[in-house]
Amino acid sequence: MSAPLLKLTGVTKRFGGLTAVNEVSTHVDAGEIVSIIGPNGAGKTTLFNMISGVLPPTEGRIELEGRDLARVAPHDYVRHGIGRTFQNLALFKHGTVVDNILVGRHWRMKTSLVEAVFHFGRPRREEIAARERAEEIIEFLEIETIRDKVVGTLSYGQQKRVELGRALATDPKLLLLDEIVAGMNQEETEDIARFILDIRDELGVSILMIEHDMHLVMDISDRVHALNFGATITEGRPAEVQAHPGVIEAYLGAKAAAARAEPAPLLKARAG
Amino acid sequence: MRSGFYKQTIAEHLALTDSWTQRAWIAVALAALATAPFVLDTYLLTLVTLMMITAVGGIGLNILTGWTGLISLGQTGFMVLGAYGYAIPVETWGWDPLAGFLLAGLVPAAASVLVGIPSLRLTGLYLAITTLASAFIVVHLVLEFPGLTNGASGIFVNRPTVLGWTVFTDQDLFRLVAIFLVLTILGALNLRRSRIGRAWFAIRDKDDAARVMGVDLRTYKLYAFVASSFVVGLSGALYGIFLSFVTVDGFPFLLSIEALAMLIVGGMGSIAGAVLGAVFLVGLPEVVSMVFSAFGDSARALLSTGAHEVKGVLYGLVIIGFLRLQPEGLMGLWRDAQRVWTLWPLRY
Ligand SMILES: Nc1ncnc2c1ncn2[C@@H]1O[C@H](COP(=O)(O)OP(=O)(O)OP(=O)(O)O)[C@@H](O)[C@H]1O
Ligand SMILES: [Mg+2]
Repeated sequence: MSAPLLKLTGVTKRFGGLTAVNEVSTHVDAGEIVSIIGPNGAGKTTLFNMISGVLPPTEGRIELEGRDLARVAPHDYVRHGIGRTFQNLALFKHGTVVDNILVGRHWRMKTSLVEAVFHFGRPRREEIAARERAEEIIEFLEIETIRDKVVGTLSYGQQKRVELGRALATDPKLLLLDEIVAGMNQEETEDIARFILDIRDELGVSILMIEHDMHLVMDISDRVHALNFGATITEGRPAEVQAHPGVIEAYLGAKAAAARAEPAPLLKARAG
Repeated sequence: MRSGFYKQTIAEHLALTDSWTQRAWIAVALAALATAPFVLDTYLLTLVTLMMITAVGGIGLNILTGWTGLISLGQTGFMVLGAYGYAIPVETWGWDPLAGFLLAGLVPAAASVLVGIPSLRLTGLYLAITTLASAFIVVHLVLEFPGLTNGASGIFVNRPTVLGWTVFTDQDLFRLVAIFLVLTILGALNLRRSRIGRAWFAIRDKDDAARVMGVDLRTYKLYAFVASSFVVGLSGALYGIFLSFVTVDGFPFLLSIEALAMLIVGGMGSIAGAVLGAVFLVGLPEVVSMVFSAFGDSARALLSTGAHEVKGVLYGLVIIGFLRLQPEGLMGLWRDAQRVWTLWPLRY
């Protein structure tokens, strides 16, 4: 059997005396949508930072398609197929939507500093190809109308969508989404849910997402991994995790009881 | 923003100009540069030449500070290296001026890597101080190696002969500098629309995210140092030719402040802003001296003995004024004016 796309073994991160992530082991198979849940401060974003090369793990092993990422330079994680969005918007705020998405194409392009001064021949062809790809992504995410707007002027939900586009532009094998629907209204959330499923089904990208929106988690995840105080509580199918006493106690509480009593599928079309 | 026209192809998005008004402006500017040597008197011609040299330096600094977000006070040092990088091979060794111009870019570019590497983790004030120190080291080294640089006495610089064209009159010098300015603007515009330029903006706006997108921060910060100091070095060489003389005294530290002021006044991150800033800052002391002359001889005497100090104070006031009142600089004012023009009588 081939190696899973992503495999974490005993991954730990300590900040001084604080153990933000404690011996987490899990995996993501190709074509899966896996969610990470847990209360505030559980260490979810820290885990993402390690998987995307932003922070080195204190202990443990992170493998992508069987390759240990410990020796990979932070800016080369993208070459191995890891794309991500950030919990707090991390767009290049002075650039337009297109500019931001084009930065996602950066590593795919080869134009050197000297070539860039002349913008002639290969650099020009490469630039046109990158922009064509950016247009496809813009169309895919239905953001044509804002394509030339400076991102700093966009609404929160729109900026999140642009971040998704920028991450997609890196041609990821594994897409890490950190609370992408936080702060979105119902309609925007449904759009994003549809995009996530399309990204998996049409583009063949596997997804690991941190999410507080339990409807979204229950609706689209293949598997859910629950964290509390940096450590794994449980992992399994969404319904199992939701029913797990440790999870209910740590995170879901009364809200979960209500949600279980009255299952309200987020994606009515798909549920039917 | 104007609506009503759409781009049909990707190549149109890549074009440097996207409207006929813009093209008309460019044509007017080029025509003005072409006719200026015929109509301006020596005083004005010299003044505009100096503005253009300053603008080249400003565009250079803008790559590092405006685009990549790395504040530098090393401008003087890179200009000195450019000036000597030109003067030594051309005047002492008798090399072709074209080779001299190439070295005027390459020598500071190489030196900037030496400044850049230890500065890679620094930002803001720390970076400003480090680059400032580098400028002092450069001046010190020039004085330390008189065998090469002729020490404090400096090197006399002739007007060059470029590709068979002898730059002799002030008109010729104006044209030479204008050509450099236009080429610098074109090169900078090309950089701006390339993956390199976008990587710089990304570093400036959000370096963590830039790295996740595959931008190697160290490499691209060094690229910014190299590209910036190459252009700044060229402005140093042109300034040496303009002064007919290259000495460390010809490149006071005030030039570093002036360059930064230029970007603040013009509008950080904008090429047009750098040019406007240069026009404004080089023109300002002239306007002030005219005003002073109107107050009689004693005022004029103060200006001629304390020109340096007066300039320093002026730049200080202008920087503070713009930072307080118009942080987006003259380009910001221009954009506001355009908006009012297109939307009037609506307010927004
Ligand atoms: N760079 C850092 N230095 C020190 N402590 C950190 C750092 N990053 C995170 N922490 C701490 O690690 C713990 C986990 O934080 P993390 O951001 O991973 O939580 P989270 O699960 O993403 O929470 P939230 O749901 O609020 O986003 C917190 O106590 C946080 O303060
Ligand atoms: Mg978080």
